Order: sequence, then C-alpha cells, then structure tokens
Amino acid sequence: MLHAIVARTLRIASVLLFCAAAALPAAAQSAPEQLVRKLAVDVTDAVRKSPAGSSDAARYNEIVTRNLVPRFDFERITQSAMGRNWARADAAQKKRVVEEFSRLLIRTYSNALSTLNESTVEVKGTRSNGSDSDVTVRTQMVGGRSPVSIDYALAGSGGTWRVYDVVVEGVSLVSAYRDEFTTLISSGGVPGLIAALERKNGK
Amino acid sequence: MTTYTRFLGAALIASALLAAGPSEAAKAKKAKRVVAPAAAAAVVANDSPPVNDPFEPFNRGMFAVNETLDDVVLRPVAVVYSTVLPQPVQDGVANVFGNLDDVFTGLNNILQGKPDRAGKDFGRVLVNTTLGIGGLFDVGARMGLEKNDEDFGQTLGVWGVGPGPYLVLPLFGPSSGRDAVGRVTRTLADPRTHIPAAWGMSLIGANFVSARATRLQTEGLLDAASFDKYGFVRSSYLMRRESLVRDGAAGPR
Repeated sequence: MLHAIVARTLRIASVLLFCAAAALPAAAQSAPEQLVRKLAVDVTDAVRKSPAGSSDAARYNEIVTRNLVPRFDFERITQSAMGRNWARADAAQKKRVVEEFSRLLIRTYSNALSTLNESTVEVKGTRSNGSDSDVTVRTQMVGGRSPVSIDYALAGSGGTWRVYDVVVEGVSLVSAYRDEFTTLISSGGVPGLIAALERKNGK
Repeated sequence: MTTYTRFLGAALIASALLAAGPSEAAKAKKAKRVVAPAAAAAVVANDSPPVNDPFEPFNRGMFAVNETLDDVVLRPVAVVYSTVLPQPVQDGVANVFGNLDDVFTGLNNILQGKPDRAGKDFGRVLVNTTLGIGGLFDVGARMGLEKNDEDFGQTLGVWGVGPGPYLVLPLFGPSSGRDAVGRVTRTLADPRTHIPAAWGMSLIGANFVSARATRLQTEGLLDAASFDKYGFVRSSYLMRRESLVRDGAAGPR
C-alpha cells in the first residue's frame, strides 16, 4: 500500500518536474532577449503578412517605424554618434538632429530589411557589457548564402529595455556614423549636420 | 608551383615555431578583453580615435577609380552573370571558390593556434571535394561543419600586428597595410597564380564576378546610408576587420 503511494507520488513528481523543465527555457530567457526576439519576429512576420501592392519602400518603412520606434533609444543613439559635439548643440538643435537621424536610421533599416526577405532570426545568447543594466544580445540572420551576425546593445532594467546600438558583422552603426558626424560638424557645425541629414532624408 | 610549396613549408615551420607564441599573446589579449567592457561604457560619450589614413588623397582617388571600374565593367558583367545563370549554378560556382578558400582558412587557423577549427576547415574541404563533387555542393555545412572566415591578414592581427595605415587597393578595394601583406601572401600561395596565366586569370576573374554577383542585392544600402561613402566604407572596413581578428568577441567600441 505504502509502496503504491510512494510510487504514485514519485510518478506525479517526475511528471511535474518534466513540465517544469519544459517551461524553463522560456522562463530563463532574459527580458532583453525577449525584446530582441519579439522585435525580429514582429518585423519578419509583418513583412511576410503585409499586403503586396503598396510600394515596397513605404511598406517596409511603416513596418520598421511601428516596431523599432518604441524599442530604440534614438536620443542615446544620436548622442553617442555626435560624441562630444552633443554638448555643443542647443536643445532645439538636439531635437532636430534626433528627429532627422531617427528618420535616416529607420530608412536604412527598412532598406536592409527588403534585402533580407527570406531570412529568419536566431537569438544566439546574451553577454554583459560590464553591468546588469547593459547587455548585448547576439543574433544571426540565416537563410541567405552565409549567415549575418547582428548584435543589439541594450540598456535598461527589469522589463524596460531599449536598444542603443546595432552591430552588423562587427560594424557598430553608432561608431560608423560617429566618424561621419565628426567630419560634417567640423566643416559646417551642428547646423551643417542638420542640413546634411535633411538633404539625405530628401527634404 | 615551387613558390606554393615553399610557402607551405614556411607556413608549417612558422606554425611550429609560433605554437607557443600566439597562445601567450591570445591569453594576454583575453585578459585585456575582460577589462574592455567597463572602459567601453565610458568611451561611448567620447569621440573615436583619429583614423590612420595618411594616404587619404591617393586612397580617395583609387576609391573613385574602383567605383568607376565597378560601374563600367564589373557590375554589368555581374548583372549578366546573375541573370543568365540559374541560382543553383551560381551557388555551385561560389562554393567551388569557397572550397579553395577553406584550405587557406584551415592553414590560417593552424597559424593562429586554433587546431580544432583548422580540423573542421580541412574536414569541410575533404567532404565538399568528395561528396560535394569537387566543391560544387557545401555538404559540410549540412553536416554541422560551419564555414569559418580567416585569412593571413587576420593571422597577422592575432599575432599582434596592428592594421597600419588604411589603403585602397586597385580592384580589391579597402585594405590596410597589414591586410595588403596578407593579400600578397595569399596571391603568392594561391595555386591559380602558378598555372598558365590565361587559365589563372580567367579563374580569378570568374571568382571576382561570382563574388560581385552575391553583393548585387545589398549594393544600394551604402549609398542610402552614408554621407561620405569613402569615410563610411573606411570605418566599416576597419571595424569589421578588427572584429574578425577577435573572431567576433567583444572588444573596445
């Protein structure tokens, strides 16, 4: 009798354990990883499902804007790209640069997206950038000829995280633009940078 | 052929001599890497270090020449190539050249003190040359032997050689002092350099066209994203190469 009860308890326990183990991977996934996964899945899904007919550029732009804007810290991205020139700009200029640069980044990302049509995203893991509130989530786009590594640097805490740099195949977007911004500002000051961004965005 | 054999001999001797060396260097590098992230956070707000480009006027000229050459010759040929040949054939051609690259990737992994990766590279060559019919099919990748990206410029980087000045080479495009040495070494070691010139040049030309065709889809991105294409390509190239030297591990940003 006792035997039977112990055996049953053990069986139930093992089933429970198995269920817990099955649920673990989802629970173990960190908030930044979930954000990046959601970002990638939302974007690729949206691209697949969105109705054809509307022009591609506008379509991708709309998808990227909807999915990226809430999850990207464009102010921090712009600030890093401007380096110490950020301090030299006044509040109104800062606002303009952030607006225009966000627009450029969204368009660049949309363009990139349109070339990665059939790719899927694999989240490869997370590494700390020196603190609990600053991490990099590594991903890989697969489906093309060779996999493309895309790393997202995120800052935040708890459930609130935002992307502050994207590193494609080892090339940091923020650093690449920092060199460009430095050149533009050294020749035309912050107004020169704003004018160049506006031209680039076709205004 | 003699140069090729001589290079292999030299490479093996060098790898034997350096077997202890690079691992020490790598350890020192790893130790540095652990410290880097903390410093990287502070760096974000500062400007990047000045770019090492003392030959900028020459480089810009060469960049323009290469762009024109691409517009006039290489791109049109690549467009025709990708229109005429079905995708599986294009993949096959790219795979055959990739199979030759894998031999050099393996050699460089040995020189960098990564015998396990070298084993996989040579495993790929073996499997792809036999089961993959002379390298036409990348059977290795389907067996879990992922393709690595190594060259002699990266090996020099692992040995502690800095990139040196940025260089734009005729036809080949972005490079650095270090990577140019790597490229010359590779060219001397490449079997195609040692067969009759007409054959060698045709094969190298076909390799160029095949590689250019794979980039047709993404070519517009740079123009749309950059203010000064030359500068954007330069900083991207230098970052990409340093990342490859570190095999994608985190480094100072």
